[in-house]
Amino acid sequence: MPPPAAWRTTLKRRLVVVAAALLAWSVAIEARLVYLQVIRHDDLSGRAERQQSRTIEAPAKRGEILDRGGRVLAYSVDAESIYAVPTEIDNPDTAAAALCGALEDCTGRERQAIADRIRRGRAFAYVRRQASPDQARRVAALQLAGIGFMKENRRFYPNKDLAAHVLGYVGVDNTGLNGIEAAYDSLIKGQPGTVLIQTDARRQAFSRVERPPTTGATLELTIDQYLQHVAERELRLGVEENRAAAGSIVVMDPKTGEILALANWPTFNPNAYRDSRPESQRNRAVQDLYEPGSTFKIVTASAAFEEKVVGPSDAIDVSEGQIRFGSRQIDDDHRYGVLSFTDVIVKSSNVGAITVGLRLGPERLSAYVGRFGFGRRASPDFPAESPGIVWNPAKLNDSALASVSMGYQIAVTPLQMATAVSAIANGGELVEPRVVRAVIDDGARVPVPRKVVRRAISEGTAALLTDIMEQVVDHGTGTRARIPGYPVAGKTGTAQKIVDGRYSRSDYNASFVGFVPSRAPVFTIVVVIDSPHGGNLYYGGSVAAPIVRRIAEAALRHYGVPPALNADPPLLVARHDEPRERATSAVAMPAIVTLAGASPGSASLVPDLRGLGARDALRTLAGLGIDAQLYGTGIVTGQEPAPGSPIERGARAVLRLGREAPRRQPPPLRVGGPVELPDARP
Amino acid sequence: MFERRLYHHIDWGLLVALLALCGIGLANIYSATGGWTGVVETQIYGIALGVVALVVCLSIDYRSLADKSHLIYIGIAALLLYVLFFGAVRGGSRRWIDLGAFNLQPSEFAKAALALVLAKLFGESRRGVVTRVDLLIAGALTAVPVFLVARQPDLGTAVTLIPVAFAVAYVAGMPMRALGVLALVAALAAPAVWTFALQDYQRERISTFLDPAQDARGAGYQQIQARITAGSGGLWGKGFQEGTQGQLRFLPVAHNDFIFSVLAEEHGFAGVLAALGLYLFVILRALEAARLAKDRLGAYLVLGVLACFTFQVIYNITMSAGLAPVKGLTLPLMSYGGSSMVATLAGFGLILNVRMRRFTN
Repeated sequence: MPPPAAWRTTLKRRLVVVAAALLAWSVAIEARLVYLQVIRHDDLSGRAERQQSRTIEAPAKRGEILDRGGRVLAYSVDAESIYAVPTEIDNPDTAAAALCGALEDCTGRERQAIADRIRRGRAFAYVRRQASPDQARRVAALQLAGIGFMKENRRFYPNKDLAAHVLGYVGVDNTGLNGIEAAYDSLIKGQPGTVLIQTDARRQAFSRVERPPTTGATLELTIDQYLQHVAERELRLGVEENRAAAGSIVVMDPKTGEILALANWPTFNPNAYRDSRPESQRNRAVQDLYEPGSTFKIVTASAAFEEKVVGPSDAIDVSEGQIRFGSRQIDDDHRYGVLSFTDVIVKSSNVGAITVGLRLGPERLSAYVGRFGFGRRASPDFPAESPGIVWNPAKLNDSALASVSMGYQIAVTPLQMATAVSAIANGGELVEPRVVRAVIDDGARVPVPRKVVRRAISEGTAALLTDIMEQVVDHGTGTRARIPGYPVAGKTGTAQKIVDGRYSRSDYNASFVGFVPSRAPVFTIVVVIDSPHGGNLYYGGSVAAPIVRRIAEAALRHYGVPPALNADPPLLVARHDEPRERATSAVAMPAIVTLAGASPGSASLVPDLRGLGARDALRTLAGLGIDAQLYGTGIVTGQEPAPGSPIERGARAVLRLGREAPRRQPPPLRVGGPVELPDARP
Repeated sequence: MFERRLYHHIDWGLLVALLALCGIGLANIYSATGGWTGVVETQIYGIALGVVALVVCLSIDYRSLADKSHLIYIGIAALLLYVLFFGAVRGGSRRWIDLGAFNLQPSEFAKAALALVLAKLFGESRRGVVTRVDLLIAGALTAVPVFLVARQPDLGTAVTLIPVAFAVAYVAGMPMRALGVLALVAALAAPAVWTFALQDYQRERISTFLDPAQDARGAGYQQIQARITAGSGGLWGKGFQEGTQGQLRFLPVAHNDFIFSVLAEEHGFAGVLAALGLYLFVILRALEAARLAKDRLGAYLVLGVLACFTFQVIYNITMSAGLAPVKGLTLPLMSYGGSSMVATLAGFGLILNVRMRRFTN
């Protein structure tokens, strides 16, 4: 074999170099791939995932707010929000100009704001939240790069300012900012879902809902839309007629604490809450404090009766017509001479009330102030409720004690006053006022139970107070609250307002508290008018009492409360003689008030089964000896015979069941003690 | 011409490795384009045609081919010239001759033609030493197709022609001094090239390579995406057709330039190692064919053909690993592309040819 040619030697040597270089490269590239695929794997797959998918919160639909009859007070509608992905927009200014052109309603400043947001943002910037469908469509038609849409929902209050202060409003982030919307926000809000959107490099494509949003719970309020309307109307007319600054009305069911209407003036439209002034948004009935004046004498009287300091017919000498505490002198409007304690209240004698208050002493009077709920927040349903201002009994000197006895130097809210009056109306129990009647979640209706805070006074004392308050309306300071055919109990109050640190001679709070029908109360009504300056002067009896009357008349008619035929009960005197026994029966059994159309006893009436589950409904019917036939599944949405109709022996009931919670059903409202009336709604 | 005994000298191992790479490429194209599409079909035709071309190139003695190399060279040059004026335009460049059923990309065949003519040049130089004249002639022969292809413009393919000349000259014994001089010239010429010869988009590509993050949504995007794609594959990959990066179009032309990334994402480091091993095997096996070649012509021909193949493999994989600027350079045998497939397989036909005929006279 000849020695290899020179070229082959060169070739072989250089091939080795080539092969070595190749191997070196492959080692390097494998090291690199180990680095990328093993060491940085987690980091890089995270980046891949992030750029391929984005998680968007799918806003939950807010639950509705209904009145006690199922009428919608607040609901949510779908609205498109327009957003931009700033990194995909080349020129923020032209984009903003184009967007504004399509929105049609934006100002130059807003256009600048949009451009700024796009310029500053990286991944996300809102262009317009909750745009109208037309605007969304016009923007979509532009087909701009980097502009997207997402569904949000927008709160809508179909009755505009009706019950605005109770309802509150919802901010743009779907968060309740005031009223019930704020207090029950976590309940109404629902759970937002998450949508995982997978995008390709061109940001197109397939989205997948990971967790659908859940609709929030629907709240059924104790508010009655009609009564609310009446209260607001009468308040507005009353404020205008009396040229007053403001006013509040609370209408309450004294037995359950359910607030049927709560009105304030001035008011606002929650659909456009941003345009309203803060003072219009204030729920004066629970936020504003006032000195209750003479209406507070019912507390003084309650304490006096309970503590047996004075009896209703005990004589109080108010002939001086004035009382002095050092340099301070308190006058009565008239010289009365010697009055029975009943007449002290009926005629609203300050001197009389003070005399009794001084007899009670600071400890005992303060105890009853506390037992009636003053100085504490009355209800959990109002986020901004004021607890009021109550004196520490140790610091009450005679002068201050005298003031408290007649409702000065103590600050309360109209709601607290309504709660206290309700305690007298219902026989002595302080019931927690509330505005939420039931929570309807997932088709199941969970009623909010009545909550008794404590017994404030005995039934006997309540009966005595009722009697006195009836006389106030019958022939005392509150005669303008009289309603033909119905006994009305009430108390007027005219309190000087403190203006610039001293009691004003021109600005008063005119108020009236009362309940009707007084022997089987269905409505407690409190009206407070702030600074009336009209032809009716400034007295509670002349300004507030007529408003109470008008509201009460409408309410009684609306609920079909039959007139008491013998409005002037002959047994009143007898009750005084044996207060405990009579009072008990008077409250429990409205025997002296004849209720037309009502049949005695509730056992013989068909109960309202709507909202119950099938099993509960059947158990209830079985207890009454009624067979039932069921149609559908879920909860009872309809029943035959109707609730409240008399049970016939051997009757069969037909129940319709459904998944939806019953809506728009008339509100069963207990009228006249245990008797359930058939619904009398038009 | 084709004797029975030659059949026994075919490098079956190399052939199987080539077809395996074609298969891997096909599977990844299938996955990246989302199933059975026209792209997959075209690739299958490409492979089939390539195998035919391989057989043809295998059958004819490389020496008789080399004798006609000047004709082949001139023919290809004419085609390149033709393309420059009458070629089908796609994506802003004229690279293709529309033949109805498919498009022919002459630049792909220029590689083999150049390898042939250079092998002939150096293999038959009389004294067995590489002279300066030889180098000049080789430079000129290379410059013509490089220039024509670059004008299309197709800088990627044009650049792959240069290694052919270098490789052949190198193994033919080009003095290292000449190499040094060339390197010096290149270094000096680079700024001039940067300023005058490169297009804006080409300059941008190089500068973003140096700092991809400076333009994450623009030109640096692809390079970052290449890293993310490979990295998210991990050790074992996401599975066949599970690669989201390629399928969601984060990688542009995944079935083409970034086929290796698709492989890296769906089959992880394991899959990458297999493909890389096959490429190494193919290249080393071809180098062995050069070593075993009966004559200089054969050895240089193998090196010439192998040079552009290897260059493209190295460049593409380095790019897929995020270590080189993104260029329109395909991964031979795996990337989608009919002309490239046919030309590559034809080239390997030549390599097999040389090895097969190492004992013949």
